[in-house]
Amino acid sequence: MAVITVEGLTKRFGDVVAVDDLSFEVDQGTVVGFLGPNGAGKTTTLRILLGLVAPTAGSARIQGGPYRQLAAPLHHVGAVLEASGFHPGRTARNHLRVVAIAAGLPRARADEVLSAVGLDHAADRRVGGFSLGMRQRLALAAALVGAPEILVLDEPANGLDPEGIHWLRGFLRHLADEGRTVLVSSHVLAEVAQTVDHVVIIAHGRLVTQSTLAALSTRTKQVVRVRTPQAQTLRPLLIAQGIQADLAGPDQIVAADTTPETIGRAAAAAGIVIYEMGADRSNLEEVFLELTSPQGGTS
Amino acid sequence: MTRLVRAELAKLRTVRLFYSVAAAMAAFGALTVVANVTSAGQQGNPPLSADDLPAVVGSPATMLAGAALLLGILGMAGEFRHHTITQTFLTTPDRGRVVAAKLAAYLLAGIAVAVLTLAVTMAVALPWLSAKGLAVSALDGDLGRVLAGTLLAAGLCGLLGVGVGALVRNQVAALVGVLVWVVVVEGLLLNLLNAPSLGKWLPSAVAAALTNPGGDHLSRWAAALLFAAYGLAFALTGTRFVVRRDIT
Repeated sequence: MAVITVEGLTKRFGDVVAVDDLSFEVDQGTVVGFLGPNGAGKTTTLRILLGLVAPTAGSARIQGGPYRQLAAPLHHVGAVLEASGFHPGRTARNHLRVVAIAAGLPRARADEVLSAVGLDHAADRRVGGFSLGMRQRLALAAALVGAPEILVLDEPANGLDPEGIHWLRGFLRHLADEGRTVLVSSHVLAEVAQTVDHVVIIAHGRLVTQSTLAALSTRTKQVVRVRTPQAQTLRPLLIAQGIQADLAGPDQIVAADTTPETIGRAAAAAGIVIYEMGADRSNLEEVFLELTSPQGGTS
Repeated sequence: MTRLVRAELAKLRTVRLFYSVAAAMAAFGALTVVANVTSAGQQGNPPLSADDLPAVVGSPATMLAGAALLLGILGMAGEFRHHTITQTFLTTPDRGRVVAAKLAAYLLAGIAVAVLTLAVTMAVALPWLSAKGLAVSALDGDLGRVLAGTLLAAGLCGLLGVGVGALVRNQVAALVGVLVWVVVVEGLLLNLLNAPSLGKWLPSAVAAALTNPGGDHLSRWAAALLFAAYGLAFALTGTRFVVRRDIT
């Protein structure tokens, strides 16, 4: 059963089309990665879903209706939108208490969610002195105040250090194991690949694909990775032979649907030095990059 | 609605601004009493009489109105500045109710600061004037009117501040706008229109009618109604913008 339904959603800011006829669904109890490069329209979509931004056309519904018509929204939906939404002079505990009071929940919820995100030690410190990681945890705590069955998280890993990202993965897994529905956005597939079962990929405000993570991995293909100091010279030669070749670094080329033999001959003919070469399968991140690149989906 | 007002009051009580403003006003109130009493009878000032008690106690009224206005503006526009408006609207998607709760909360906040300040001015003025041999009574009718008018003015200024904050949203612009209005625009308007009689209808004169009745002012009740109408007009216009606005 779909608990989140986005249908024909379009949002224009002046001349800029941020979201363009976007449709997708999130089923109950699934963990869905909402992926796309920066500026793809993820944040705008989520803000429309949460009733903060009005759509130009189309609709975004939670449990069958718009967010703004939920009688007690925090009991159903918890959201993490930006790490900066705190008064710097208010303590973490008081921030959460204010949310609890306004939502008609007991004040004790503040302490419960603080320990859920591991911020007990900082409960009485002013948020102004918090690190980015602590702010993200506090934002997660605020999302959990109403013990919602749906969580909408916009780039929760942004600005976290490796340890924080590791913690976040475990935390999202824990939320999913409790049977909650989670829609989590990211511009890096790897950040959420270990957590999500489904992906919704968008670029330029449009849906690129919606599938299970497993189905996405079938899109990986045979590639040859080449390390050469003359990558800039080799790449056009390969492209001239009809081979799809992308730069994956200043001295790295990833060529699709070809063999090391073909590339070796081409390099030798042009007198290009090769340090390293090997056949491989492309990884999920490369599938994601290809799908969302400007020519995305054309190859 | 009650819980939204409680949440707004909790926001106010959990940052230092409210306490700083309250403490500053209490100190300012005490100082104005000291200045009034010590300067009376000196350098050509008339000596104090028992009738001066209301004026002495009520002397911080204008500053109180300004302080309440400041609290209201910062309470509303500050949510946009710190992006806390996102959480506020996530919790309560009905934005009109959020603004309504703020209007009520800052009406109460203005009154609270005024109660504290007037308590301080009374505590300083009553025993001091008594010691000077002036027969003063806290039950004085004029005193009661000044106290009530000051409380009302402070409360309504808190409400007006929320309205201005909702309309302008940028707290610096809102504060500067209010200052420019009071200091420059009102006087300019009167000169341009060449109609001094219109002056009593302008917001600062209406506020003065509440705190300092008499003279060419409106009656207290007319002033209270008109001032509340100014506050609500700002709040309603501001709410219309806030309700439609995308919170990005």
